[in-house]
Amino acid sequence: MTTTNPDLTAALDAASTADPRRYVITGGPSSGKDDLIEAVHAAGIPCMTEEPGREIYRKHRERLGRHLRREDRREYSLEVLEAFIAEYTGHKHGIRFYNRGIPDGFGWEGFFGLRPTPQLEEATRLYRYDTVFVLDPLDTFEDPDDIVWAKDREIRRVHELIVQGYYDTGYEPVFVAPDSAAARLDLICANLRLPKPSRGA
Amino acid sequence: MGVVVAVAEVGPSRPAVPDAIRHAPDQRLGFSWACASLPSVPRKSPVAGEVAAGLRRLIKEGLPVTPSRADAALLELRGIVARAVDPADDASLTAALNGTLRGLLARFPDVRYASAARALFGLPPAGPGQNLTVRRDLAAAEAGHEVHHFRKRVEPKLVERLAWELLADADRFTRTPMIAPRLASASGRQPILADPFAWEVTEHEEQLSKLWSALYAARAELLAVERLVSLRASRIELTHAAVTAAWRWAAARAEAISYTSAYTQEMAVDQLITLAGWIPVLTEAQASRLTEAAVGGAHREQFVHALHNETGLGDAWIDGLLNPLPIGTSDENGQPQ
Repeated sequence: MTTTNPDLTAALDAASTADPRRYVITGGPSSGKDDLIEAVHAAGIPCMTEEPGREIYRKHRERLGRHLRREDRREYSLEVLEAFIAEYTGHKHGIRFYNRGIPDGFGWEGFFGLRPTPQLEEATRLYRYDTVFVLDPLDTFEDPDDIVWAKDREIRRVHELIVQGYYDTGYEPVFVAPDSAAARLDLICANLRLPKPSRGA
Repeated sequence: MGVVVAVAEVGPSRPAVPDAIRHAPDQRLGFSWACASLPSVPRKSPVAGEVAAGLRRLIKEGLPVTPSRADAALLELRGIVARAVDPADDASLTAALNGTLRGLLARFPDVRYASAARALFGLPPAGPGQNLTVRRDLAAAEAGHEVHHFRKRVEPKLVERLAWELLADADRFTRTPMIAPRLASASGRQPILADPFAWEVTEHEEQLSKLWSALYAARAELLAVERLVSLRASRIELTHAAVTAAWRWAAARAEAISYTSAYTQEMAVDQLITLAGWIPVLTEAQASRLTEAAVGGAHREQFVHALHNETGLGDAWIDGLLNPLPIGTSDENGQPQ
């Protein structure tokens, strides 16, 4: 279990008045992202509370009264982009983790065979993150025959398209192998030269 | 049943034309439109040897790959094509190849040789612009081998492993719109994560399942009609079966329209509905009228009621289905002449 490390608290305090540092945690579904975000919060590290796309998706579904079609997805992704830009620009000082980042939009567009919007390309150019952590999927299908559900294959495809979006936009993501949320957070903190949350409580 | 199994097992190699299509009655009758509307098959992956050869050529200058140095065998991999923003553009394909290789090398599965593999291809710990000799020396040192041993014994295995990773990646990108979802015993509940991607992916499988369930239901009824025709069943029995087939076929067409409008531009409704089996030739207006009568999950009775006054349509469907094959269109083994 992650515990708050006083050294980490001190490091975060020291950084809180400095220039903003923005770190993205991303990955496809089934990558353990929610557990890790929870661990980030538990460690007292500033972090986005919930990925804005969820609420926007629910709102679109409610308004449409049906599933999203091709023509609806563009509108949805632009609204999500606005929310991500607001999250980005609202942060002025110190360290902050993000539950997905603006380039995740390339994964969404790619998944549905859409070309990236000019707005997404522009935002990607303007709003840059300092480090991107990609959580590799927790489910490892050693044997392709294990992938029996269409959605399992598709989820893996989503993951790879998200990664490609970051490469295409000039990032060099840091991959975080499957592990417990606490161990993954320790690895991420070590990469950022921050004290590990699990130590020195 | 052959339709699904034959297409679902394709993997990276070219799939066989499904038996149900190859031997479809419409071909026995000599209609060429059916042959022209064979479903599009997943893209064939190059064999592992070609991919490995493509990678070996990349080692000389390392990453990033430029469009002029990228082998077609690599650019045509499904995973690369799927990632490219514009699959028709070489620069876009090359960017996708660079991203894919960087991602695979960053996650190289053999921990001992991961750093060596990255150095060999020009990624850190190697630096930009280093020539192959320098990168190879560095890679050998990272792996803890003497450089000649590394070049002769280890390097080919690293390339082979990366080629395998590329092929496995390509397999993950197999386009599956014509494949019915494979079913397996559920070992437990499968909760869906609260994530828009997961919601979309799950909803896609829901729609895909509904589509295939409708296609199979139509297929079953069309098969029943053919069996009853062969049995020389009574006119009443045959007509009842033909109407049921029309209802199921129309419902499947409605599902195909719903699915294609939401999920794919690459596939026509006619391509999907052809998988259910042969039907008599209908005009576009007749097909639309049948579909309208079945839309929204109409029961058979509702469907029949909605088409009560459509005598011409009923004749086209029922007479077309129930008339025996014209003499001389097949040989004694039932093969087209």
